[in-house]
Amino acid sequence: MAGELALIALSAMLVNNFVLARFLGVCPFLGVSRKMDSAIGMSFAVLFVMTVASVVTWLVQRLVLVPFNLEYLRTITFILVIASLVQLVEMVVQKTSPVLYQALGIFLPLITTNCAILGVALLVVQKDYGFLQTLTFAVAASAGFGLAMVLLAGLRESLALAAIPRAFQGNAIVLVTAGILSLAFMGFSGLVRG
Amino acid sequence: MQHERPTGPVPASALTLSDALSGEAVAGRPALDVAPRPAFNLREIGDDFVRGVWRENGVFKQMLGLCPALAVTTTAVNGMAMGLATLAVMVASSSSVSIIRNWIPGSVRIPSFIVIIATFVTVVDLFLNAFAHDVHKTLGLFIPLIVVNCIVLGRADAFAARRSLPRAIADALGVGVGFTLALIALGAVRELLGMGSVFGISLFGDAYPPFLLFLLPPGAFIALGLMLAGGTYLAALSARGN
Amino acid sequence: MVAALMAVCIAGAVVLAWSDRITSGPIAEQKRREVVRSLTAVLPPHNNAPDQDMSTVVLDDGTEQTLYLARMEGQWVGTAVPVTAPDGYSGNIDLMVGVDRNGRLTGVVVLSHAETPGLGDKMITDEEWLPAFRGRTLENARWAVKKDGGDFDQFTGATITPRAVVNAVRHALEVCEKVCR
Repeated sequence: MAGELALIALSAMLVNNFVLARFLGVCPFLGVSRKMDSAIGMSFAVLFVMTVASVVTWLVQRLVLVPFNLEYLRTITFILVIASLVQLVEMVVQKTSPVLYQALGIFLPLITTNCAILGVALLVVQKDYGFLQTLTFAVAASAGFGLAMVLLAGLRESLALAAIPRAFQGNAIVLVTAGILSLAFMGFSGLVRG
Repeated sequence: MQHERPTGPVPASALTLSDALSGEAVAGRPALDVAPRPAFNLREIGDDFVRGVWRENGVFKQMLGLCPALAVTTTAVNGMAMGLATLAVMVASSSSVSIIRNWIPGSVRIPSFIVIIATFVTVVDLFLNAFAHDVHKTLGLFIPLIVVNCIVLGRADAFAARRSLPRAIADALGVGVGFTLALIALGAVRELLGMGSVFGISLFGDAYPPFLLFLLPPGAFIALGLMLAGGTYLAALSARGN
Repeated sequence: MVAALMAVCIAGAVVLAWSDRITSGPIAEQKRREVVRSLTAVLPPHNNAPDQDMSTVVLDDGTEQTLYLARMEGQWVGTAVPVTAPDGYSGNIDLMVGVDRNGRLTGVVVLSHAETPGLGDKMITDEEWLPAFRGRTLENARWAVKKDGGDFDQFTGATITPRAVVNAVRHALEVCEKVCR
């Protein structure tokens, strides 16, 4: 059991990295990775929302959608759960911890349209994961997201100082950099076998 | 049809999602006017359509909707299928949003729009599964994920929620066609470099050594990066020529 | 304001319930046709409907295994075993394996996979690879890829996929060996 969970974690974080191999959450990956602090803030916000959202949607799937044969409502209920969760988290954080709100506040609304969150919830259904597997998968997936984010942010901070050919300035060089990062992550693919 | 592109680093505001959702993703462009207008103006409607196709192309100009754009474009056909599915969702949800725009209070605007979009996404999902099973299998997870395509919610909230039905439809069609064309272009480039074919038609025969990288995830990022750089380069060339 | 949101939700639910009613039949039919197509491809000639002639056996490790039985004039002629190779390059590879009554392979098809286009998916695009399994038995082949000292080709740059498929097909044969005869 522990071995299986470790495999799920390793695979979600490195081998099938959410951003670099599965293309989930590319928008915030490219949009919020200009500065290291915002990359870190976004990563923690995603870690938090993704973990809670995947547990809640797992319960919704098991306790409501499957027993009542309402699986065609999956997309709509999941996205509503995520949207309300984000609202709730935002309100709670604002009330209880102004410091945390300062750090995460501006990222929270963006998370509703982060397809990695809905992606995790849907993949869990597709893979028919149990509770512990779901939890592991969500935490590892967001850790992988954060890892990719922080790496790209670090690279972009150095890129800002580099002399880049005119045609590649702006988004082009960021995409090529992300591509090379993704290439590097392909090296992990031999890591998990069997 | 040549428009100036910013050649320097794109300002931060051009990249973030909040800007897309608030409708102002292209820096330096005057704000959309919100004042009521005569109901039907053909030129205006034409302009709404054309603007979405190229000038404000979601993928190439605003870097939005990239998840499906990068994930499913291993071939031109796959890109087209994804683009058309998104186009259908956009037209349906933007017109619904425009029709009910006066009855939805501001405080529940976004949740209502999300429900509308999720409804149409599920309809597309179910019908593809029933009547185009192979397409459904290829696109897989990325069909339900149209819900969180920022372009769809962005256009519904920033445009359709404040415009008449014909203009909302024109805008959704324009942006949707622009998205589809971008996915076809990216798919064609990756298919050409990765397999030597376009739309399944081999262009060079067996002599072409396939450049597999472009079919793999890293190739998606790199291909889009190269296409953007190519666009900037051509724009600079033509600007010098004038 | 809550009323407006409720109205939108209810309208959405009505539209979805209607779409589900229209599409649930065709979706089930599509899935059935997919199974039938794969059964026809892997089983020896038969004149029953194997997709309705199913049986379930419990294997030694406690997992349940579905079997589809092919009959000619009521006489059992072969078995189709759906198996999953869990160790593909990117996730599971679902296969349908056909075996005749003598334990010889009559066909293998891939039901679903997520292997890399141009590398791992050569198992489908290479038109000679899957047919090479035909006629093999547990005894008359060394069940590994050539790189590991076996009889089956690997692909340039892709060994993981063929290795996973070869193992899964051998597993299907072993299941048959135990329960079919």
